[in-house]
Amino acid sequence: MPVDFITIKDQIKKISAHAPEEAERLQGLHKQARELLAAHASEISALREKVNTAASQDAFLRCALPVKEELDAAFSVPRLPESATVLAADGSQINPDRHAALNFYLINVGALSMELGSIKAPETRVQSSLHFGEYTSAGTISESMVALQRDTRERAFLVELAQDAGQPLFTLTDGPLELWGGKGGSSEESESFTKNLAEYKQALTTLAGIGAATAGYVDKPRADLVVQLLEVAAAHREELGELRNKRPLRGATDANLFKEILEPGQRSAVYAIQSKSAREYAGPLGLHFFYLNVGRPGKPWLARVEVPSWVVENSEMLGNLHAILVDQCRMLGSRPYPYLLHRAHEEAVVTRLEKQQISDMLQRELQAQNLETGEESQKQSVKNLPGRRRFTLGQKRN
Amino acid sequence: MDKNAIEIGRLLRSGIAGYVAGARVSEKESPQFGALVRAPLGADLQTYGLIYDIHVDDDGLVRQLVTAENVDAAVIEDNRVNRVVPMEMSIMAVGYRNGESIVHLLPPRPPLSLDVIHQCSPAELVEFTSAGSFGYFRHILRAPDAPVGEILAAHIQAASAAHEEAGNSEWRAEATQELITLLRDDYATLMAVLSALGDALPE
Repeated sequence: MPVDFITIKDQIKKISAHAPEEAERLQGLHKQARELLAAHASEISALREKVNTAASQDAFLRCALPVKEELDAAFSVPRLPESATVLAADGSQINPDRHAALNFYLINVGALSMELGSIKAPETRVQSSLHFGEYTSAGTISESMVALQRDTRERAFLVELAQDAGQPLFTLTDGPLELWGGKGGSSEESESFTKNLAEYKQALTTLAGIGAATAGYVDKPRADLVVQLLEVAAAHREELGELRNKRPLRGATDANLFKEILEPGQRSAVYAIQSKSAREYAGPLGLHFFYLNVGRPGKPWLARVEVPSWVVENSEMLGNLHAILVDQCRMLGSRPYPYLLHRAHEEAVVTRLEKQQISDMLQRELQAQNLETGEESQKQSVKNLPGRRRFTLGQKRN
Repeated sequence: MDKNAIEIGRLLRSGIAGYVAGARVSEKESPQFGALVRAPLGADLQTYGLIYDIHVDDDGLVRQLVTAENVDAAVIEDNRVNRVVPMEMSIMAVGYRNGESIVHLLPPRPPLSLDVIHQCSPAELVEFTSAGSFGYFRHILRAPDAPVGEILAAHIQAASAAHEEAGNSEWRAEATQELITLLRDDYATLMAVLSALGDALPE
């Protein structure tokens, strides 16, 4: 049966009936947020102290923490460095599938290296890692565990390529710099997270050691870290412990806040991240971020760029990173997104055909050794049955 | 057969009457419309063909890059060298080589996927076009979707230059005379061919 479009149509009408009211509410929230941002723009020390107080009362508080730049500051794009190497990596995976004939998963990381100012084509690299017959006590390896390994490998691959890359070096990945996972899963997932986090932080430390900048690029960010900072700023001290449950600006986003402030090419102030998990990243690895308008006049487009302390503390490195990201986004014209990150994704992505080919190769190898390879589940087999076909004269059998 | 012939691509799909080859997009050693190429068929067999169409497909990223104010040289190179957007060449079969002899008939079997396609050297072009008496012209004249006049003009221009280099200045006139004979009952095609030849080979 297809979707019940009659019911869906009624639901859409109900949703759209409330849309103007909701849009007006959000507009009000963003106006309020912009006024708070302007009002508290220069209270850096006081806000840091207030956020620390709030964090001591609510261990799960997650918000922005001002560093030294005024909250509503906007920095124009600096000149591109005359020479630099830009490395970008992105990962893709085939997740374990309990309905498939074989229990395997694959992590595929694509990377590109581009020399600024050079007319040479970027160098492309791919690193593929096949895992077969791995289980946890709950069954097959979970998708979140595979994603965790993928993120760790992205960073490790950048480290590997960075060893021979020219300086100054800028390394990019898609998504937040902070490694996500390990929450609410089994003890094995938790152990896996701890192990991957240690490897991930080691990779970051190595990048810091060789003087390479690194950044996580978040396209279309939905976060409200600065908005939550403004809630802290506006709250009475006695309310700080309960603030996370009240959320007076809930619904407002940082991107909507900054798109009114940042001109095309400009970045916001750099903020640190206040959160329980961010504490894992200490010293030079400390997590920071800024917003960047990579859009064009009349068509702002905000990205959040996450960077570690060692990048923030080096103003030349931070400026060059800012310029490189704007330049990379400009390359894709009306769809601003770092060109090299898109290309790394293209190199990494695993198609359904490739998945089938890997499965076939594995099966042939095992069958050559007279080993039983199993079969896909009946459920999967039935799903794979071909769709209805029309009879035509002279039709070839498929 | 010239061992130093230029490799221009690899075979994507084929049939007895022709094949399609893919190549990276490069300005340096790009194959030319009307060029004579060859592909292996086995130990002593080679099939010969004429390139009658060359096209480069786009994709979403290429279309997106066009919207940028300036496209960096490195980005252009990346799309030409690294990305899987090959230049496709359609080739009509015009004959084959069996050992030392050249035959202007369709080959006994098609070349296989990923076979290397070479552009023939001027010496091979002279050898192929000197064999028999222009029997391969009928494959060109029968090609349903090909711009016949333009192919013949490009081919005769390249072949006559190779023949003149080899000391034979009569080949062009003989080839043109043969075309007039073959097309004597098809005035429209004859005029199209002669017009194209006139543009390609000004006196």
